[in-house]
Formats: sequence, structure tokens, C-alpha cells
Amino acid sequence: MPCNFARLVYLASTRDYNTGTYHHEGLTARYGMEQTRQALQAAHCDLFRELVSLPLKELVRELEGYISSAHEAPGDFIHAWQELEPYRVAVPMEADSTMVQLFLSNIKLALEILRFHQEQIQANQRPSSPQPLLGR
Amino acid sequence: MIPSLALTAVAVLAIILLLLSGRDDECEERAAKGQVRQQTPQDNVQPAGLVRRIFSLEDRDFIRGIQSRELQGLFLDERRKVALHWVRQTTGEVREIMKRHRLISRQSANLDAGAEVKLFFRYAEIRFLCGTLALLVRVFGPHVLVNLAAHTSEVYQRMGRSLPKVASVSPGNLAAS
Repeated sequence: MPCNFARLVYLASTRDYNTGTYHHEGLTARYGMEQTRQALQAAHCDLFRELVSLPLKELVRELEGYISSAHEAPGDFIHAWQELEPYRVAVPMEADSTMVQLFLSNIKLALEILRFHQEQIQANQRPSSPQPLLGR
Repeated sequence: MIPSLALTAVAVLAIILLLLSGRDDECEERAAKGQVRQQTPQDNVQPAGLVRRIFSLEDRDFIRGIQSRELQGLFLDERRKVALHWVRQTTGEVREIMKRHRLISRQSANLDAGAEVKLFFRYAEIRFLCGTLALLVRVFGPHVLVNLAAHTSEVYQRMGRSLPKVASVSPGNLAAS
């Protein structure tokens, strides 16, 4: 996977949203259901803590890496994430509430920073308006 | 005359701050009921690290480097919210610890008066610090308060460490209950 943020999203996706329990068929066949559940839950919590402890600058880089791996137009991606806030489902159920607040707040800020950069890039790419001809 | 006036002013300020942090608790209890998740001891990251991240000067400097007033405003608002959340959570947890401690103490036959007094003063200190932080975060924003916040977190941890000698509750197992 391209970055830790992608790993977090993947681990969150192994969780059943109705029950909060983690599932993975391949791992269950090898290690049993309970061990798999515990391992996925622990990995999810560890990774979440790691991302919460990142400086904002590095979190922006993580998110940028995740967006570029999605092969979607960055502008559309950022807009959808700001509107729908799908990153909320990436939070482990057992996380401390201040950590959750910090994570959600940092993602919101990171998206805003990326949007700002995106707008700057677009403004620089825009062809400059034709200069009025002198003497006319 | 002047020292007694100063003492009175400090006492009045302390009472105001305690009331302020108490009011925050009630808001927090109501707000957090739906979102405070059940914790296990291993989910408690190093609180000092978390606090330093919330009050981080590094993040503030990064945002300043982007040179967008809008982003700077958003950043300040967001960090203020998170900082106040942490202050309320800490106050709420400390209050809960004391509540439980009181219940256990009532049934205890061999209370250590010295330890009880020490615990009470630590409790009052945390409540005072949380009240001060709640006020100052609102007025100045979180980033000038990194050392005060780290100190508060340290006092809270010390209180947690000293608790098992007095009663069998600690921030760790309190969170798990």
C-alpha cells in the first residue's frame, strides 16, 4: 500500500459497520476468527495512534499520497471528502475521544491545505488575459 | 494590606476558574455521552505527546508558512476546539476519579489522612490548572500554552500514579470501566 493513510482506510474497511467487529477471510482460515479479529483491531488502533501523532505537515503529505494513489482528479476527491467526510469511518471504536477530535480536525485542515494548493496550481496554469493593445 | 488583597484576588480567581471548568464538565458530559468510546489501557497514548501535538508550535509555524489568513484562522479555531475538548475531558476524568475515590474511602477502615490531603490538593491543583487553561485557550489560543498544558498533563499523570496507594482506581482502569 502506498502510505499509512491507505493502510488505515483498508484496516477500517475490514470492520463490519453494524457490529464493529473485524473480519478477514484469508487470515481467519489460517489463524482463527478471534485471533484475526484481535490482530486487525490492534493494528488499526496502532496505526491510528501513529497518524494522530504525526505533525500536520506530514499528515498533509500522507493524504496527498493517498489522493494520488486513488487515480481520481484531486479537486473532485478533495471536494467529495470535504462534503461527505468519509474519513470519519477510519476511526477505531476504542480510540480516546481527544485523539479522535485531533484526528478529525487534522484531516479537515489537511484537506483545506490541499484545496488551497490545488487552487494555487490552477491559478498559475490559467492563461493570462490578453493585454489591451496600446495606442488603440 | 497589599498581600492580603492579592491573596483574596487569587482565591476569587481560583473559585471563578473552578466554576468555569465545572461548567465545561457538564457541557462535556452531555456532549461526550454519545461519542466517548470504551477504552482499553493500551489505547491511552502517551498523554504528554498528545498534549504537545494539540498545542504544537511546529504545526502553527507550518500553517504560518502557507501564508493564507483563512487557513490560519481555521487552524486556530480547530486547535482551540481540540484543546478545550482535552481540558474538559481531563477535568471530567479527574472529577470521576475523585467521585469514585470518595465512594471507596467511605468503606475504607484505614484511611491515610496525609495521603488524602495530598490527593485533595492535587485534585484542586488540576481543577485550577484546567480552569486557567480553559480561560486562556479561549483568550489567547492554545499555542502560547504548550508548557502549561504539558504541566497539567504531568500533574494528572502524577495523580493517577499516586492513586493506587489510596484507592484502587486510576485513569487507566477508570477509562476501561
